[in-house]
Amino acid sequence: MSLRSAHKLGTGLVAGVAVLSLAACTGNTAADDGGTQAGGTSEAEQGSNDEAGDTVVIGFSAPAADHGWMASITESAREAADAYEDVDLRVAEGTNDVNLQISQVETFINDGVDAIVLLPFDGAAMTPVALQAMEAGIPVINVDREFEDPNAARVTVLGDNYGMGVSAGSYICSELGDNPDAVVAEIAGIDSLPLTQDRSQGFEDALGECGLDVDNRVAADFTVEGGERAASNLLQAAPQIDAVWNHDDDQGVGVLAAFENAGRDEFMMVGGAGSANAMRSIQADDSVLKATVVYPSTQGADGIMMARLLVQQKAMGDLVEVEVPREVQLYAPVVTADNVDQFIDTAFES
Amino acid sequence: MAATPHGAPLLQMSGIVKEFPGVRALDGVDLDVRAGEVHCLLGQNGAGKSTLIKVLSASYRPDAGTIAIDGTETTLSTPAVAMKHGISTIYQELDLVADLSVAENIFLGHELSRGGFSQRQRAHRTTRELLTRLGHAHVSPTRAVGTLSPAEQQIVSMARALSHDTRMLILDEPSAVLDQDGVANLFRVIRSLTAEGVAVVYISHRLEEIREIGDRITVLKDGATVATGLDAATTPTADLIKLMTGRSIEYVFPPRTATRRTRTEPVLEVRGLALAGVFSDVDLTVHAGEIVGLAGLVGAGRSEIIETLYGARRASAGTVTVDGKKLRRGSVPAAVKAGVGLCPEERKSQGLLLDQAVYRNITVSVMDRFARVGFLDERAERRTATELTTSLDVRPAGVDRAVRTLSGGNQQKVVLARWLLRECRVLLLDEPTRGVDVGARSEIYALVRRLADSGVAVVVVSSEVEEVLGLADRVLVVREGAVVHESAADEIDESRVLDLVMEGAPA
Amino acid sequence: MSDDTEVSPGRGLPATAVPVSPTDPTTGTAGGERPARGRLGGLSGSGLVRNLGLVLALVILCVVGLVTTGERFGSTANLLTILRLAAVTGVISIGMTFVITGGGIDLSVGAVMALSSVWCTTLATQAMARDTHWIVMVGAALAVGAACGLINGLLVSYGKVVPFIATLAMLASARGLAEIISQRRTQIVDVPGFTDFFGAEVVGVPVIVIMFALVAAIGWVVFNRTTFGRRTLAVGGNPEAARLAGINVQRHTVLLYVQLGLLCGVAALMIISRTTTGTSTHGTLIELDVIAAVVIGGTLLAGGRGTIVGTVIGVLIFTTLTNVFTLNNRSTSEQALLKGAIIVAAVLLQQRFAARSKSP
Repeated sequence: MSLRSAHKLGTGLVAGVAVLSLAACTGNTAADDGGTQAGGTSEAEQGSNDEAGDTVVIGFSAPAADHGWMASITESAREAADAYEDVDLRVAEGTNDVNLQISQVETFINDGVDAIVLLPFDGAAMTPVALQAMEAGIPVINVDREFEDPNAARVTVLGDNYGMGVSAGSYICSELGDNPDAVVAEIAGIDSLPLTQDRSQGFEDALGECGLDVDNRVAADFTVEGGERAASNLLQAAPQIDAVWNHDDDQGVGVLAAFENAGRDEFMMVGGAGSANAMRSIQADDSVLKATVVYPSTQGADGIMMARLLVQQKAMGDLVEVEVPREVQLYAPVVTADNVDQFIDTAFES
Repeated sequence: MAATPHGAPLLQMSGIVKEFPGVRALDGVDLDVRAGEVHCLLGQNGAGKSTLIKVLSASYRPDAGTIAIDGTETTLSTPAVAMKHGISTIYQELDLVADLSVAENIFLGHELSRGGFSQRQRAHRTTRELLTRLGHAHVSPTRAVGTLSPAEQQIVSMARALSHDTRMLILDEPSAVLDQDGVANLFRVIRSLTAEGVAVVYISHRLEEIREIGDRITVLKDGATVATGLDAATTPTADLIKLMTGRSIEYVFPPRTATRRTRTEPVLEVRGLALAGVFSDVDLTVHAGEIVGLAGLVGAGRSEIIETLYGARRASAGTVTVDGKKLRRGSVPAAVKAGVGLCPEERKSQGLLLDQAVYRNITVSVMDRFARVGFLDERAERRTATELTTSLDVRPAGVDRAVRTLSGGNQQKVVLARWLLRECRVLLLDEPTRGVDVGARSEIYALVRRLADSGVAVVVVSSEVEEVLGLADRVLVVREGAVVHESAADEIDESRVLDLVMEGAPA
Repeated sequence: MSDDTEVSPGRGLPATAVPVSPTDPTTGTAGGERPARGRLGGLSGSGLVRNLGLVLALVILCVVGLVTTGERFGSTANLLTILRLAAVTGVISIGMTFVITGGGIDLSVGAVMALSSVWCTTLATQAMARDTHWIVMVGAALAVGAACGLINGLLVSYGKVVPFIATLAMLASARGLAEIISQRRTQIVDVPGFTDFFGAEVVGVPVIVIMFALVAAIGWVVFNRTTFGRRTLAVGGNPEAARLAGINVQRHTVLLYVQLGLLCGVAALMIISRTTTGTSTHGTLIELDVIAAVVIGGTLLAGGRGTIVGTVIGVLIFTTLTNVFTLNNRSTSEQALLKGAIIVAAVLLQQRFAARSKSP
């Protein structure tokens, strides 16, 4: 729950929005690779990036897997590493104790790993040790929660919280746009977090485009119990609802339970983050949940992929650039019954 | 109760040996107990009485020797087996659960239930019957045991024993927590039990009790039986002491010092001291070199008086003055600073740091004397403690052993050594010889007198009238929170004190 | 002293299920010179025996580390990594050893550390530090820690609130206050003197490791050689006896919590220097690591017995374990499992050694 996991609107979008499709290890074609560049340190190979190269030792550290999304971060990183025989992944204990996380990164530095993929518990607190790694010549791939100092990471992989809100808002607009009196409700995550504020801002902005606004807003805490509690309160406050956006599918389990208990189904619901059971529900069309907005839990895997490319001095396929980009911000697509098949395989189990 | 005919041999132990690493606690104990008798077990602290009890209740398994019950050789393998044979033990320190009710305690471990539901009504009825039989019908089965007096708690313990089919009841120093009334009731209960054929094994330091209630005596010394089957009523005291100690000593009080009354300067002056609801308007003056005794029933307020003047309880009225200086109310540090020392009634829970070394227990009140800017000189501590323990003959020697490992008498000497070292002006002794064997008693009496002779003002509280009269120069009798009599110790005798103490008390 | 009627908690009803008679001969009037009974852990001199199980556990861990990862484990850089990690938990554990030995417990240490770190890194404090001297920040951290300790101590000793509850309340409110002050943001330190000092190394040893060593050494001396340490043992072992012996138990209890609060302030300085940030999330759940380290170290949770050396070894066992696991690339769940097993094994081993030392 870092304060820095939110991404400032604007800067990220410019930096190169790579819409990484969720199948993390899609093969790249070599067609666009530009060969050796003068002055560049990279020597991108001709041929597929998936071809085995020199063994890359990657250290990976993330916060404690205390909810489905975070568990999936580490899990997807492992799977990505397993897919390459030239990647040796070292996964440190997941922890919410920055003191411990720092020492894990120090251990990686002592060990002389080739690259470090780091989802910091607190971006600012992990900045000094990341800088230390960079100074020691070990590239750091910063995932999801940004460091304080841009020099502390070679590559930053981010989700798009504002974009999530925009996607959810736009989808609701497209479904309800013809009804300016439609009642829209929002069940947020932990309200004090900047990422929640960004998501809500995007949601509000997108709804504004079609003349809607948020009529009822409650906040939960990313847990099933919290979702149940918040949703129950919401139902009491709003006797008639047309659409609900719930920020997080983990807490969504509780939200849906509350709806079911109250026997309310006059509205449609849009989820957030993109858990597997939310997607199964969308696929089966057995509840008010009609769509969810993905906040990719495969960021860890993307970090591993990029670490490998960096160390093996390969470029990203499909880009003209000979170097791996500085920053990659992931897209927040809307998943509905129409396209759920495309996403369900990479969704996280909550 | 099982119908064993009176006088039939119930239990026979022979050649019982129990060893612990480094110690042979029992080294050939013989004991035979007959149905319907009160069999007294005598012996100094450390003679092996407690170990023997634990063998009987099957807490310990003997290394050698045989135990026969009803003439059949038996192995008491677990406490449950001992219980099945009808052996129940009431320990000196009662093993009750304070927050459970009387009935719950009595049926602890064998709750009355049907189909998994406890039968509270039946339990309460049975409890009431048991308590009535023990002469305590007024105790409610639903009361929390923690709110009962020690004497009542002992009754609950006995009720628990009787709730099983008890044929032999072992009582370890049962009178230690009782006043005269309680003892009388205890004896009445014992007599009614023996009349039903129950055998009682009675352990006590008080010879007068043994004379009154006992039938036969077995004497233990150093883990072995030195005499058995002695007649409790007729065996001369001198013989018993000789058997117990292996030497002839008398139950002696040190002679009073003649000069004491000529000294006039009062060291301790108590005026109008009161503790709301417990005692009121206590005046007390103790001169240097004088021993003042407080006699009274348990619960009359004796302990509370000295705890209050020590500052351990906050007085509701009155003043305490030491050497002309008034003490701050309710402050132990103030009292200690003024030179007051207390040997509390509950030596273990109030007096000693049981897991700490002897020397640390001795120096605890004068730690600063051995410290320079907070750093302790442990060598000096040990040296001083060694001198003191040697002069007080604390056994076994060695100031580094934990106080827990010492016997009661030696523990008491350690507490006294603490105040000797403190060179206090006023020494308050609450039940100084409780749980202390005969030999060590005399030593403690002598020690107290020596302290007084060195100019200390001493206040002694004791349930044993004989002790107060023998040791003190002056006696105050306390009844129901008030001082009802004051006189020189040699101007009053035991029966008069008892009269004063009992006067107005329910018979 | 409002409830002086409860003058003797032990009177009447000893809690012991198995009564121990004062005449119990196993505790020795017969027989010759014997050391104190094993369960009591012996007295002076037997400290090494008591810690043997722990030392063994640490040695086994190190051997495992060396065998499985060789130089990667044994390098100076790695050892310093272990020590830096141990430093923050370590200083708090030293203070906790005193509090637990003195019969108390403090659940608020992590929260107090967080509050100290936040207070010490607010814009205002940092501005003042830049205007005057970075020592201002040190003063702020220590003062906040000590103040929280003082409140804990007063609540426990004069307010008669059981330590578990009093410090639980402090846990909640200190972290709450930290969140309010920081507005849940991570505050970044920009006072060069501060970061330079605490981030420095002296002959290759990081300053925070030196601080840990100093705290441990001072803690050992105070615990074993001073009246403060002796009083702590007395107060924890038998508060009533200590009181009647003239020790000011209440004042001593307050001091115990104050020193722990102060050390939480020291820990806050360490974590600030390590992260260059102060936040309300620092030290979350650190109290459990601290208590676990103290208890496997051999300090009696009930009070009256404690060991500084054991605590330091306890902290090192946990940090070394984490390090060996990270080096061997083992999973988090396995590590948690082994951590639990180590706690049990260490305690069982200690009991075994203690039992053996019982026999002459």
